[in-house]
Amino acid sequence: MLSEEKIKIMTSLAMFEKHEGKRIFPINRYFKSDYISSKLFRSFFSYTLSFVLCLVLWELYGMEQWLTTMELKGLTAAGMRIGLIYLIGLIIYLGISAVVYMKRYEYASRGTKVYLAKLKRLDKRYEGNTRPLKRPKGGRTS
Amino acid sequence: MMGLLVFKERLKEFYARFEIYITPVIKFLFSLLAFSLMNKNIGFMTKLTEPYIPLVLALVCSFLPYGAISFLAAGFMLAHLSGISLEITLVMAVFIVVVGLLYYGFQPGDSYLLVLTPVFFLLKIPYAIPLIVGLSGSVISVIPVSCGVFIYYTLLYVKQNAGVLTNDMSVDQVVKFMQLMKVLLSNKLMLVMVTAFALSLVVVAVTRSLSMDYSWIIAIVAGSIAQLGVIFVGDIVADVSVSVILLLVGILFSIVIAGIYTFFVFAVDYSRTEYVQFEDDDYYYYVKAVPKLTVSAPDVKVQKINARKLQRPQR
Repeated sequence: MLSEEKIKIMTSLAMFEKHEGKRIFPINRYFKSDYISSKLFRSFFSYTLSFVLCLVLWELYGMEQWLTTMELKGLTAAGMRIGLIYLIGLIIYLGISAVVYMKRYEYASRGTKVYLAKLKRLDKRYEGNTRPLKRPKGGRTS
Repeated sequence: MMGLLVFKERLKEFYARFEIYITPVIKFLFSLLAFSLMNKNIGFMTKLTEPYIPLVLALVCSFLPYGAISFLAAGFMLAHLSGISLEITLVMAVFIVVVGLLYYGFQPGDSYLLVLTPVFFLLKIPYAIPLIVGLSGSVISVIPVSCGVFIYYTLLYVKQNAGVLTNDMSVDQVVKFMQLMKVLLSNKLMLVMVTAFALSLVVVAVTRSLSMDYSWIIAIVAGSIAQLGVIFVGDIVADVSVSVILLLVGILFSIVIAGIYTFFVFAVDYSRTEYVQFEDDDYYYYVKAVPKLTVSAPDVKVQKINARKLQRPQR
């Protein structure tokens, strides 16, 4: 026999999975700290790569100036400045990523709770239908 | 008004029924438009300008997610650019990689805006972009829209200066590259447009979420005024020349488009607003509930009942 109530719950579960699954299940496998640090690790590399690419463009742009004023003092000063810009940018970018991924993790953990609650409701419907567990014959043995 | 609402209901029904076919068709048209506009405007790679290439690519794109479509479009653009000048290709490639790494690393899911913004520019209705994006998306979408404006103006520069940029060895590459960077970074029109779009988008996104009547309409008007204001100020301060008539016509047209969008997405009846107030243990709630305008599409079926002549076999 079809249980309409169960079908409703299962449909809503499936809808929930379809809409929210992508934003929940890849995330809730991790602990919060693991998830955020792995994402920050990735952010660090993407920021560094982007910075290097921009730097290359900038160097090409200022090539002539570099070649004419080639001296050690100027170069070290420029290197220091570039390093400082890199560090400030890195801190800002990592801060933004940390906030974003923290929010995502919280969203996912809330979603997991909702999902589990739905699953529990479905599970209860099953309990009502199954026969009671078999007791060992002969009553208590101890 | 009633007829329009019924039409909207019909459209909804139609979409719900044929969604599985409509989405690929929309993606197909979107990518076909993007690829053919690119071919028409920056078709420097003659191998790619054959008419069937956009068609085939668009067919492929109709089954891809928007992120992949944008990626493909970026590749197509770089291929065309490499046909005219390696320097500009390098600049664009670095730009796209940086945006991809820094912004799309977060997977915000709005990469189609990078393609849509230049497309709307070419269709002469760019001012609709900040209005619609502000109404539908979040403030963060400022980033892809601004990048889209940058891409459009870079491509425009390439199109207008194709002769100077061609891959010949007459000018030293480094010199050419330096000139290019200087022009791109000091393109005042682009800076004014980026500012106008970003400000307008923020204004629209903030205004439409305010708790006042007709907030969406007010948001559209405020966003348009913000755009106009920034462009006029840019006209005076930065000495950018913008054709006033084209600008006004474009803005009016954009307002109309945004109005249509509002009608389809946010049709509510402010005259029947309910204010309710209640409390629980922790809070007082002042709730404003605005009912949606809905009609049910009339389901009329005409059944013709004709007296059928019964033809009995004659015995």
